[in-house]
Amino acid sequence: MTLRSALTAAAIAVASPGIADVDTALDQHVLPTMDKLAQTTQTLAETPCAPEDLRPAFREAALAWAAASHLSLGPAEEDGRAKAILFWPDDRNSTGRGIRLLAQQGEEAWTPEAIQRASVAGRGLGALERLIWERDAVPCALTLALADDLAGTATAIRDGWSKGFADLMRDPGGPGNTRFLTEQESEAALYTALLTDMEHAADQRLGRPMGTFDDPRPARAELGRSGLSMEMVRAALSSLRDLAVTLADAPETKASLDRAVEMARDLPDHALQNTDDVQTRFEVEALQTAIRTARDTASAEIGGALGVPMGFNSADGD
Amino acid sequence: MLSRRRFLATTGAAAALPVPTWADAGTPSFLAAAREPSGTYALFGLTVDGQIAFRVGLPDRGHAAAAHPSRPEAVAFARRPGTFAVVLDCATGSVLHELRSPEGRHFYGHGAFIDGGRILATTENAFETGEGRIGLWDAASEYGRIGDIPSGGIGPHEIIRLPDDTLAVANGGIRTHPDHERKKLNLDTMRPNLAYIVDGRVVETVELEDPKLSIRHISGRADSTVAMGLQSQRAPSERVPMLATHRLGDPVARTFGTGLAPAFQGYVGSVAWSGDGARIAVTAPRGAQAALFEGEAFEILRRPDICGVAPSRRGLAFTDGTGGVLTDSGAVKHGVAWDNHLIALTPA
Repeated sequence: MTLRSALTAAAIAVASPGIADVDTALDQHVLPTMDKLAQTTQTLAETPCAPEDLRPAFREAALAWAAASHLSLGPAEEDGRAKAILFWPDDRNSTGRGIRLLAQQGEEAWTPEAIQRASVAGRGLGALERLIWERDAVPCALTLALADDLAGTATAIRDGWSKGFADLMRDPGGPGNTRFLTEQESEAALYTALLTDMEHAADQRLGRPMGTFDDPRPARAELGRSGLSMEMVRAALSSLRDLAVTLADAPETKASLDRAVEMARDLPDHALQNTDDVQTRFEVEALQTAIRTARDTASAEIGGALGVPMGFNSADGD
Repeated sequence: MLSRRRFLATTGAAAALPVPTWADAGTPSFLAAAREPSGTYALFGLTVDGQIAFRVGLPDRGHAAAAHPSRPEAVAFARRPGTFAVVLDCATGSVLHELRSPEGRHFYGHGAFIDGGRILATTENAFETGEGRIGLWDAASEYGRIGDIPSGGIGPHEIIRLPDDTLAVANGGIRTHPDHERKKLNLDTMRPNLAYIVDGRVVETVELEDPKLSIRHISGRADSTVAMGLQSQRAPSERVPMLATHRLGDPVARTFGTGLAPAFQGYVGSVAWSGDGARIAVTAPRGAQAALFEGEAFEILRRPDICGVAPSRRGLAFTDGTGGVLTDSGAVKHGVAWDNHLIALTPA
């Protein structure tokens, strides 16, 4: 063996065998989650234009998104689809401005094509929530058009997964597949989604309405107008637990997520609307801590086994 | 008159001492630094299809490398604010020379050969005054220091040679001092520019409309049009350009990719023209994507921690922090974390 080929052989580390089960995660978690998102949004789009009918249908669609939003890789990141489903956080009230604009523009601006070109802030669940809860779903044609648009976006994400992206994950290193080169990369992508959304739950879904002790911001809660903020957290945590158990044999991660799910269940529905109450703050903070503990557990248990390299260049800043 | 015997003896001696070329280092098409699984650092040569042509160990984390146009020599620079660079013999793996930045200076991590490989130019910070300087080194003989010239701005980062031996320098505009690590000391007053240097003199500088866009990385096309990868010092969500182009003599630079800034988190890690000059790629490691521009239109390529990009024979080649190498002939994965930059070897 020449010196050069010896060096070359040493430099190419053999990829570790897959410890996680991407197929199971796709079949038992990702694809069913996306189906449910497409179905519930379609049901919402077919619901008669009466607030009492729209509200339960909206709730189902919103919770389906909470259970799907961690799967932000792939179809949801194309064309800004995730934001078109729910534009949040929205500290500048862009959703309010977006709906006002659409309402002013009138029916010509409510065709599917026109709405697709409109600002994402004026579309999706955030816009529908305001119309249904604050304006009795009037104008009805706009409500229905936004519901159709939402269902269209959800269907595009579902189809993106079932007709292509899931196959890319299943066939790493296949011809033309530059997105996933090894089994480990497919595993790492789902693992990253898991960790990122745990952070999102603690820092954003819970953290934004919490604000600080001196400046609690309950109005910043996700979908607070419909009172769904806490239910969104519960749906998200349950879904993250499902992803964790289908992706890897990770008993400690499961136990820590079980605990977070339980704590979220014990919190009242309007906890995030009451973050100016000291006792409520105490309980929400305990849940945040439990989620962050689960994140660290998953990082050690799953991430350690996957050997996921984190941000060599993205953290460099040069 | 040369006798037949003496003639043979002379040519025979020449054959016994051939001048080394890049073929002696496995004919790499690219250079890239990387971190290895054991935590060590090395400079690698990569072949046209992304296989490893050579490996040479580095004393510390590298940033970029400069490749000599004919000899199999690479200059590997330490990360900013490093004070050392090593000249490596890529055929044997030995360190030929060590470059130390002069007192009161540090390197910024990039360099370029000019004058047919006889001179190496390095970007440097004269950190007490904050002035950007270009160090000149005698690559024809032992890499002695020849002297230095102004870079035309503050914080010169990448430096490249344009086809007519003009140097283009990305003066990032951000003042730092090694006593404060990488802390940015002048964000309120920063004024980045692209400077052109001919025969040791800055002949033109161009600024962008928005002074908060640091011009950090550049790439030149055969017609000397320079592509600039930008790093925003505004909030990551602000919609600012991520790419600009300029050619010596143009009144203003053109900008591109405003809508990409939020997804890029305002940060471009590297930029390159494609080998055929038709496209420009900017990489965004914080957005785990690259944008490939053809005029105003672009397509997105997604890879985790993607950063290195260089022209390939037909198009573009990329490296990422998870070990991926994308070339004209497909994708390869190595068990290393590729560092920021991929350098194309261009024939002299």
